[in-house]
Amino acid sequence: MTLTVPTVQIVDDDPSFLTATSRLLRARGFAVKTFSSASEFLAHLDSDAHGCVVADLQMPGMNGLDLQSALARSRNPLPILFLTGHGDIPSSVVAMRSGAEDFLEKRAPKEKLVDAVRRALARDAQEREERTRQRDLRARFDMLTKREFEVLAHVVQGRLNKQIAGDLGIHERTVKLHRTAITRKLRVQSVAELTRLTDEAGIFTAPARTFP
Amino acid sequence: MSWVTVIWSMIAAVCVTLAGIYLLVWRRNHSAWANLLFCLTAVSVAAFAFCELRMMRAETPAEFATTLKWAQVPVWLLVLSLVGFVRLYLRAGRTWLAWMTCGLRTLALLLGFLVGQNLNYREITHLRHILFLGESVSIAVGVPNPWMVVGQLSLMVLLIFTADAGVTAWRRGDRHSAQTVGGSIVFFTFVSTVQSLLVFWGVVQAPIVASISFMGLVAVMGYELSRDVFRASQLVGELKESKDGLRENEHRMSLAVDAANLGIWIRDLARNEIWASDKWRELFGFTPMEPLDLESILQRLHPDDREALQQVLTKALAGGGSYETEFRVTLPQGGLRWISSRGQVEFDATGQPVRVRGVSRDVSAQKQAEQETQLLRREVAHVGRVTMMGQLASALAHEINQPLGAILRNAEAAELFMQNASPDLDEIRAIVADIRKDDQRAGAVIDRMRGLLKRQPLNTRALDVGELLGDVRALVRAEAVARQVKLEVEVPGDLPPVCGDRVHLQQVLLNVILNGMDALNGVSRGERRVSVIALLNGARTVEIAVSDTGSGIPADKLAHVFDPFFTTKPNGMGMGLPISRTIIEAHGGRFWAENNSSGGATFRFTLPIAEEVAAK
Repeated sequence: MTLTVPTVQIVDDDPSFLTATSRLLRARGFAVKTFSSASEFLAHLDSDAHGCVVADLQMPGMNGLDLQSALARSRNPLPILFLTGHGDIPSSVVAMRSGAEDFLEKRAPKEKLVDAVRRALARDAQEREERTRQRDLRARFDMLTKREFEVLAHVVQGRLNKQIAGDLGIHERTVKLHRTAITRKLRVQSVAELTRLTDEAGIFTAPARTFP
Repeated sequence: MSWVTVIWSMIAAVCVTLAGIYLLVWRRNHSAWANLLFCLTAVSVAAFAFCELRMMRAETPAEFATTLKWAQVPVWLLVLSLVGFVRLYLRAGRTWLAWMTCGLRTLALLLGFLVGQNLNYREITHLRHILFLGESVSIAVGVPNPWMVVGQLSLMVLLIFTADAGVTAWRRGDRHSAQTVGGSIVFFTFVSTVQSLLVFWGVVQAPIVASISFMGLVAVMGYELSRDVFRASQLVGELKESKDGLRENEHRMSLAVDAANLGIWIRDLARNEIWASDKWRELFGFTPMEPLDLESILQRLHPDDREALQQVLTKALAGGGSYETEFRVTLPQGGLRWISSRGQVEFDATGQPVRVRGVSRDVSAQKQAEQETQLLRREVAHVGRVTMMGQLASALAHEINQPLGAILRNAEAAELFMQNASPDLDEIRAIVADIRKDDQRAGAVIDRMRGLLKRQPLNTRALDVGELLGDVRALVRAEAVARQVKLEVEVPGDLPPVCGDRVHLQQVLLNVILNGMDALNGVSRGERRVSVIALLNGARTVEIAVSDTGSGIPADKLAHVFDPFFTTKPNGMGMGLPISRTIIEAHGGRFWAENNSSGGATFRFTLPIAEEVAAK
């Protein structure tokens, strides 16, 4: 099943608390799904599911922090929000460093919980949008040929067609043709827009993406 | 003065003197009849000696005859006193022989006065003078009286009687008396009888000199009696000594008894009487003159101890013999006293109890010290529990926050649901039910904690092992989750209940389980396991084993894990295991540790199966 509606996925080994939390969040209008253990949740994780995870920090077997790292490595890194029976500072530090949305006590005021859930959902939407945009950009850059990439590298450095032609040992007209193909493939109008898009995609800064 | 006069007068004088002495002895001690009889013997010998002297000095046959007639009186007295003396002194002799001797002699005495001139002669015709001891003495010549046989027969019977008594005494072991008294009476009587026979029947021409041999008899008897007197005085001395010794012993004994605060008592079952020392009366709060019986003593006992003591007594009387018991005595002036009592039943030949003797001791101070030790032990155990609860505090806070959090969220959800125009009542009902359930869950956690934090004495009763381990599991569940330790509990369903104190056994189990968890700190997460297994060990005990998958206990430390203040933990007090062992031993169980062959350590302890179950 594909979850198009953002859903709050609650993971807690205490069935009573699980039911109660899901009741409250449903009453506040959220779509809710419950799991009694981290492994059960991971087994049912949909790669397209929108939403966030609300997890108990202390669970037998796989605990909250284990779930957080497993989730981060998955194809759907949903934001995670921790609940705990009692404040445990070392665990909360680890959780927050690893990018947890929040770290709340189980008896925290409901507004705090609801706000945290909302923030997590918003963050998921934002991150998802970002991820989509990134995927789209990469798709566009992936269309460029090897030579077009070489030309692009020179263009974003602000070099003139003549200089580029000299550097690459090709005709100036050929450089012009490559530039036209680049703007068409990347769907940009100006050099300024091209530079911004290249920065955004991290083409020449991310070491992982060095051109083969 | 002639020799005859000298010798016979001396015989008479010696005999009279001895008679006087022993008469005095008898007068001092009227039960010493032998002394009186000896006195009579000596008097009769003296009288007979006098008669003999008169006969030797007789001028006319008539004078001789009259003296001889009257001489039968001392002879009669002599024979009777000898019979009596033998009976009393040798404590032997046939009665019929004694009566026969006395009867014959009395008959002889009467015949002497009734028949003829005297017993020995029908008629003395004339006197003849012969030389005796260098001087002329008279002897009688006449017709012998045949009735004389009766007198001589009585002497023969006396001989037989004495000889028989002597043999009996000899056989009985009184060899000395049998030899001297029996032997000398037989010998001297025999000699004098033979001599008088020869003289009276006219075989030998000689005066009657029986008093010489009777004198010998008196000397031997006197010697014997003087030995007795001497021995008696010696005995008196010894008796006095031993009496002094006895008194000294008694004195020492009462000193020891007083010093040890011992009260002594004797209960005579036949007469249903109880005697008790003053100290005992003081211990039980009785005045020195107050009459004692079992009922009044039982009334002094603390009501809770009465039945137990009665059972102990019944068992001892039924054949148990001895007993040792402790009970409390309520003093009439107020206050309580702990008494330790030991008793020994004495049985007669048929196995019936006759009397019971015993000592009672005030052990109040000891009991108080014991109670103080117990109190201290209880305090230490309590401190141990409080410390342990401290360790568990954060996990338990989590355990309580869980249901409290659920209650809060449910309540908030219910509020929101009710704001709807048409609230879902089924949902709200479900919420309320859940709230109630979670409240009970939080309450149970608090109750468990409070139970462990309470200060209480050992209160043993039948406990279900499954329930006990379930409670403990609930207490450490959160801690196990927080530490990523897998806790396994295995209890066979048909395990009988054990006899124990819930809180103290929970403490022991928590202590050992937490120790097991501590031992897992360096172990990888998947391998952290503590298992608790209960099983039947023999017919009367249940064994509970707590194993971990840690690195085990180093061999050199295995022997010390139960020592106080021995610890391998940086923050450990080293009191957990000693307290736990004390608790298990107070339950009558054993507690020990061992390393597993597959790694890790196992702590095992045993608990007795509850009585009513074990009895089936």
